[in-house]
Amino acid sequence: MNTTTATTKTTTATSSVASSTKMKTFAVTFAVVGTLTYCLCLLMNWPVFTYHPAVNRIEWGWGPSRNGEGPAMYWYGWTATTLLVGAVVGFLATLLPESTAKKIPVILVWLLPILTIPFLIWDLRQWWLHP
Amino acid sequence: MDIISVPTFWTIWLLVHLLFSVGLLGALTHQAVSVTMPVRKMAGPGGFVVRFRAVPAAGYATAVCVLWVLTFIAGSYIYIKYRTYIRIPIEQAGHWKTQGFFDFKEHVASIGLVLLPAYWFFWKNAQEPEYDTARKMVTVILCIACWFLFIVGHVLNNTRGFV
Repeated sequence: MNTTTATTKTTTATSSVASSTKMKTFAVTFAVVGTLTYCLCLLMNWPVFTYHPAVNRIEWGWGPSRNGEGPAMYWYGWTATTLLVGAVVGFLATLLPESTAKKIPVILVWLLPILTIPFLIWDLRQWWLHP
Repeated sequence: MDIISVPTFWTIWLLVHLLFSVGLLGALTHQAVSVTMPVRKMAGPGGFVVRFRAVPAAGYATAVCVLWVLTFIAGSYIYIKYRTYIRIPIEQAGHWKTQGFFDFKEHVASIGLVLLPAYWFFWKNAQEPEYDTARKMVTVILCIACWFLFIVGHVLNNTRGFV
């Protein structure tokens, strides 16, 4: 196999993945579910783990800051929850029949992040309204 | 750690985060301008603005995804130091809104991350007119998000000097 043939085959394989219905379903579902899950994680405080940077300790789920152990970090856990849920639901969506998968509205990919902005401003109100 | 001091180590990582973000900012800004104000026909060489818009925007998609992820990873790594050595003095000094903007920044970065596969898909299928609006909107959202992240990061970096 010469280099030209190999390059052409690789390009064709990449472009077929990029244009496949399953890729579209996964990408759109991941974006929609991911955005919603992240907001839910903030609202309900659902980190998959808590990181304690001062003592370099990871705790599963939500854990409070403890005396002498410095602050607790939840953002890593929220992001991990989001990526996990988004990936799992995105994968499950690819198993749906094509006719059903096509009904997932593409508009939500960009509309939800815009709608998220007022929610984030509200969620961070403790900082804006701090006396 | 014996070769360089601890502050130098973290400064290097902060600069790595900055360099990735500058590349990302440039790529996304070119792409967002080209997708919102496309150059239909180039008559002659054109001015700076025309040339700024006339980039092959689809070619930036993979680079943008890779740069977003790299910037995100570098930022996540230095966040450990920020949380213990920067945020606490900022709170003690009562810079509450500054702290609020940092939290806003982390949320925007994560939401931007989950948009990347869809963004990549829309650009890899740029010939499909059904994705035109989504492609344009996601690109503009990521571009605005990137500028926001960059400016907040820059101001926060300066804030520690005031505290």
